[in-house]
Amino acid sequence: MAWGRIVVALAGAGVAALAGSLLLLSGEQGSQAARSPLRTPSPADPLTDEEIDRVGEIASATLRARMTNGRVELLYIERGDDKAAGERRRADAYIYDYAANRFIVRTVDLAEGRVVAEREGRGTQPPPSRLEEERAAELLLADRVHGGRIRAAYARTAGRPLRSASDLGLRALIYTPRPASRGAEACSDHRCVRLLVRLPDGTWPDTTRTVVDLSAKKILTLTGR
Amino acid sequence: MRLSALLPSLLSCALIVTCGASASASAPARAGTVLPTGTVRPSGALSPGGAVREAARRAPACGAPYLVERELPNGARWRLCWEMRVIEGLTLTGVAYTPPRGRPIPVLRSTALAQIHVPYDSGEPRFHDIGALGENAVTLASADCPGGERRERFVCVTTRSRGHGYLKSLPGEPNLSALGHELVVYAAFQIGWYTYLVEWAFSDDGAITPRVGATGSLAGFATGPEYGWSTGTGDTHVEQSHTHNIFWRLDFDVDGPKHDVVEQYDFPGSGTARRTLSRTVFTEEAKAVNAPARWWRVVDTESRNADGHPISWEIGDSGSAQYRGPADEAFTRADLYVTQYRACERLASNNPAPRCAGSVDRYVSGQRLTDPVVWVNVSYHHVARDEDADPMPTHWQGFRITPRDAMAENPR
Repeated sequence: MAWGRIVVALAGAGVAALAGSLLLLSGEQGSQAARSPLRTPSPADPLTDEEIDRVGEIASATLRARMTNGRVELLYIERGDDKAAGERRRADAYIYDYAANRFIVRTVDLAEGRVVAEREGRGTQPPPSRLEEERAAELLLADRVHGGRIRAAYARTAGRPLRSASDLGLRALIYTPRPASRGAEACSDHRCVRLLVRLPDGTWPDTTRTVVDLSAKKILTLTGR
Repeated sequence: MRLSALLPSLLSCALIVTCGASASASAPARAGTVLPTGTVRPSGALSPGGAVREAARRAPACGAPYLVERELPNGARWRLCWEMRVIEGLTLTGVAYTPPRGRPIPVLRSTALAQIHVPYDSGEPRFHDIGALGENAVTLASADCPGGERRERFVCVTTRSRGHGYLKSLPGEPNLSALGHELVVYAAFQIGWYTYLVEWAFSDDGAITPRVGATGSLAGFATGPEYGWSTGTGDTHVEQSHTHNIFWRLDFDVDGPKHDVVEQYDFPGSGTARRTLSRTVFTEEAKAVNAPARWWRVVDTESRNADGHPISWEIGDSGSAQYRGPADEAFTRADLYVTQYRACERLASNNPAPRCAGSVDRYVSGQRLTDPVVWVNVSYHHVARDEDADPMPTHWQGFRITPRDAMAENPR
């Protein structure tokens, strides 16, 4: 694994970055429990909606150009829980850079209004976001063979053609190749998921040999053990 | 059998290496201390002192609706905060127990699931079900949280009976008996065909039972008879067997954030009339495996109960199937890990943190323990049966965390 270096107190990611930065997919992420009204949170409370939005803006301030062209994506924001921070409100923004296949975590101090730490590396994959899950489903459905199989199974159980990925129950899990696996070697470096798909009758077609390479926007088929 | 001869076979290799556990019962181990039971080290502080007590009494670190504060019928109280984290899902923090007529005793700084690893018996597939667990919480209906209150749709906080707390016959008098109760906090998560019930029960006697119930549906993966069990009509479908290896991360703060030490207890003497007690103190990061009658405890070396005994919480009773995976899944090869606290070490495998080790077996790196985090791995091997047809009955796996000398007597 080739790790990046820690950058403490990133320049340019301070309060000034708040102005005009709105490229976040903040509506797409955050814990479900965090959907809460405006209030002053206690130290161990989940992040509020307002805090999630602020953290997203601050963490992405220096990434805006790359976020607009889709190469960098904010996955989700998690409350910081590092003992070293004491009771300060902090949050970790999970970011993936598809151009370089880099995973970045930016820690934002809410009181200071700036990024106070950054860690980045390759080869480590955080869980897929909702948006990535949907994109994986779209890629799968667009594939003639694999998508065709899902569409046929859907039509068989629902009695009508599949309209979109939203007709399906979806669950994406990170796929990391094991030593004996064949067919998805690229996933040791790329961001890949296995997609579990629920049909209207509650059954799950076996998609375990299918891997969606989100980095290459390709569908891969596993062979071997 | 001499302890020195028996211990190496009971302890994992890593444990021997990191803890020097092969020392005899009468001599200090290289990196640990083995003392006879009941030995109380001289201490100028028989109680944790004002600072810790004050910390336990002060305002909770969370507000409504994340604060759970409940008094059970015997007068015992539990206090904790909950949070639905994106990755780990339901996470509990600041867990403290107050025995009837007693003072609050902090137990855990935080606890959450650290992985659900599901390898199928034929070798594939192999899933790591965490996952953005928090994004897959199931909205609970009123009926899903009987007698309790739902917090932000996903978390149930309720109280239930746990059967007899005690029952003692007294000649010529009514029996001395009482039903016990427990506070239960749980959430459900939909991970593919499985629904996982993730639950912590906090008993009125100070015990904690973390457990996970798997329900929902079977995967429906067909396989050969050597890897499964016929669940279809006749031999039309053989459902593939699989294992759920569930990991919990537990950051103990027994009676405050400092002075926590993890010990392992063994009772060598199988095949003899006598069993002796052997204590191994983990002074360095360690891996340990289950063994008959073995248990662990997290003890605060500075605080004492009214009997002068160190306050601790014991860990055991997992009933694990003890799955041991291939070399690239070395995190499955121990049942309990003790690691020095590092903020980036959150999951037992697929740890989502750059510049941090990827799995719990790699967190054990010989570091001296001053702030131990305990990781418990409990396996359940699921061989499907006809009764598993939809909806699949819940199968549970978990373990017990029991007070040991937190109180000087039965906290009834």
